[in-house]
Amino acid sequence: MATISLNHYLIVGAVLFCTGLFTMMTKRNAIGILIGVELVLNSVNVNLIAFDRYLGPNRMDGQLMALFVIVLAAAEAALAVGICINLYKNVATVDVDRATSLRG
Amino acid sequence: MGEHFYEILLALGVLSPMVSFWILVFAGPKLGKPTAGWTAVVLGMGVPLALATWVLISWWWGEDSVSRAALTENAFRFHWADIGSVPITLGVKLDSLTVAMYFMVTFVAFWIFVFSIGYMSGHSDEVDGQSKYSRFFAYLSLFAFSMLGLVISSNLLFLFIFWELVGLCSYLLIGFYFDKAYASAAAIKAFVTNRVGDFGFLIGLMLVFYQLGTLDLDQAAAVFAEQAATGSGIFSSDFSLFGWSLATVMGVGLFCGAMGKSAQFPLHVWLPDAMAGPTPVSALIHAATMVAAGVYLVARVFRLMTPDALMFIALIGCLTLTLMALVAIVQVDIKKCLAYSTLSQLGYMIFGLGCGAWIAALFHLMTHAFFKAMLFLCSGQVIEGCHHEQDMRKMGGLRKKMPVTCWTFFVGVLAISGAGIAGTTIGLGGFFSKDEILAVAYVRAFEWDDAGKHEVHDGDAAHALGSTHPVTGVRLVSDPVQNAHGGFARAEARGAANAHGEDTQHVGHDDSARASIFGTIPALPKWMFYLALFTAYVTPFYMMRCWWMTFMGKPRDENVYRHAHESKLMYVPLAVLAVGTLLASYFLFRPLIADAATAATAAPLVLALDGHEHTAAIGAAHRFLTFGVGGAFIIAFLAAIAIYRRGLETPERIRRALAPLHLVLVHKYFFDEVYDVIWVKGCLLLAKVARFIDTWIVDSIFDMLAAATERIAAFSGLILDKHGVDGVVNGVARSSTDFAGFIRRWQTGRIRHYVIFATGVATVVFLWIWLAGASNADAAVVSAGM
Repeated sequence: MATISLNHYLIVGAVLFCTGLFTMMTKRNAIGILIGVELVLNSVNVNLIAFDRYLGPNRMDGQLMALFVIVLAAAEAALAVGICINLYKNVATVDVDRATSLRG
Repeated sequence: MGEHFYEILLALGVLSPMVSFWILVFAGPKLGKPTAGWTAVVLGMGVPLALATWVLISWWWGEDSVSRAALTENAFRFHWADIGSVPITLGVKLDSLTVAMYFMVTFVAFWIFVFSIGYMSGHSDEVDGQSKYSRFFAYLSLFAFSMLGLVISSNLLFLFIFWELVGLCSYLLIGFYFDKAYASAAAIKAFVTNRVGDFGFLIGLMLVFYQLGTLDLDQAAAVFAEQAATGSGIFSSDFSLFGWSLATVMGVGLFCGAMGKSAQFPLHVWLPDAMAGPTPVSALIHAATMVAAGVYLVARVFRLMTPDALMFIALIGCLTLTLMALVAIVQVDIKKCLAYSTLSQLGYMIFGLGCGAWIAALFHLMTHAFFKAMLFLCSGQVIEGCHHEQDMRKMGGLRKKMPVTCWTFFVGVLAISGAGIAGTTIGLGGFFSKDEILAVAYVRAFEWDDAGKHEVHDGDAAHALGSTHPVTGVRLVSDPVQNAHGGFARAEARGAANAHGEDTQHVGHDDSARASIFGTIPALPKWMFYLALFTAYVTPFYMMRCWWMTFMGKPRDENVYRHAHESKLMYVPLAVLAVGTLLASYFLFRPLIADAATAATAAPLVLALDGHEHTAAIGAAHRFLTFGVGGAFIIAFLAAIAIYRRGLETPERIRRALAPLHLVLVHKYFFDEVYDVIWVKGCLLLAKVARFIDTWIVDSIFDMLAAATERIAAFSGLILDKHGVDGVVNGVARSSTDFAGFIRRWQTGRIRHYVIFATGVATVVFLWIWLAGASNADAAVVSAGM
């Protein structure tokens, strides 16, 4: 039984990151994009915790950064959902391709 | 009477014509004809005449000589301004001469104003198709203001200002009919000729200003006397021009102004042409008053004269009086004949001043003003009556048609000819004044050495006769030693001495100083006296010729004779002036001028002589002279009558016999022609040269500069600016636009595009770092391997 090494974590992080990125690229629904962003942020968190655990076990830098990212993600999510609700109120849709009123 | 009573009256009299002038300028056309004329008569001259009469009566009969002297010394002076350190005072020159001149000007001018109304009602007042009636009287009022201001000026600066103003009025009135070419040409000629004289006047003024440090007449004289005594100031300069000292140049410069205004040789050419103006103007300005302003000026600055300057003045006067009298003989235009006679008489006045006959010259000025104004008014009457015919050859026999004019004219002829009974005091104006000038000239020419000697050695005689010359009876007006002290102390001393009835202390002082002045004054060249004497015979000849041709004999032109008539309105001024000529001058003006003489001629370097003292001390030669001149008019009258008695045949024969002489005289010694060649043609030539330089040199330089500028501008505008600067700016703008358009395409607003782009860039950056890191690692391996 092989032990779980740093690389395994990094692969999970990369998969999550790519999934999130792909979601952001392909979704037109604002909520979908938001979910992609959350996936990307959480892939970063996985990486941070993994690096913290394997490269500097006695230091709390990685965990601290991860906590920051979580807080940031919460704030971002709240903001983004607020924008989505307002977008819906104004144009009765959450399709970002149709939110073009700021285009020059 | 309050303080400065006389000054206020005189100043009011000056301002009144100014009021009349402004009324006529602004409201003249509304007042119409003849109200505008009467406005000028009443306000312009009536008020001043009334004031002048008031002043004259209270001055002459209300004051004695002591109070008059005190009033002269304490005359009103207002410190107006300073130019540098030179104070400019505004004031009234108050002495008997001022009062006499003022009265003469207002009196003569008043009647000429009245005459003008009659004259203008008969003449066209239209210029350029518009009535200029009120303008004529506005000009006359302005002239009255200027002339009276000139007479009362106590300061050379203000005298000069009024001097120029009368010149302006003269110009305006000569050119009154300015739509006629000859009138405007005559006006310009008068103005330009006067400028030549005024140039000299300005030089004189500047010398007074710079060297004497004051422009006040009295102060200037005082400073001049002080400088003469101490040899400082103007006398400390070693400047010399034609052998003249700076002081002489100053005197001659001031006289130059008089040469222009009083039309003295060689600046006389404007006066005959000035007859293009209306006849009342000729009478007022160009015979009676303005032309006398030059004489008045010389009389006023007499105290600043030097013997050399006076000799020059005498020379100019002598030439003028002789040459112009000869020209008058051949004139056929009645006004031109009178104009040359005026020139000759002005020459007499200037000659008199040059000789030192101060009183006589001014006396002649007064008498001349009366009779010449009257003669001109008569000629105006004749011209008016003959329908603007001025040629005496077409007149003749007019005495039947215009008897009043005829006999008033005859009174004038007698007066100018100096008619009178020799050896008595019965005679007309010119009899006394011209005779007096000649008497002084005689003393200066023949008895001068004796006069000096007697003054030195014969102190007792001087005491016994007051200051009367023991040989000739010519009384010396001036008291040089007192004058050398100058200033204000003099009159007080004199007044005090007079009050005690004795002047002995000063007379005793006088002899030595007077003797030294005698020594410095040269005798008059004898030929000057002979010329003046000769002209005394010429004057009655041409005047009698003029009168005879006009009024006597047979009518020569039916048309003129048939229409000849007299205008009733013009009688009164003629009659009044005739009475003035007959009576007023001798009994009024002569004593007035003599009263002013003592202070006004108190010169440090020259002497004024009173030629009037016909005492027992007159020598045999002087008696001969009196009778010689006294008989002149009879001889000349007879000659004129003999020649012109039978019409124009006899004169024509004489003319043919003396053709070359006649030619010279008719052409007035070719002065106009010579001036035309030298000055007018010279001026035109200079203008042509200047024009050539301007056209071909200056213009071409400027054309070249302009062309070069144009090229540079084209280059800079088209090449540099349009293609260079604009190109750069436009290029920047266009490339920014293009670049922005290019960038803009990437800004789609689609989130996935940004994500793709960001991912792509991140991938590239990652790949680049990775590969570069690999090659660096290789390099590091290579370098480590070495």
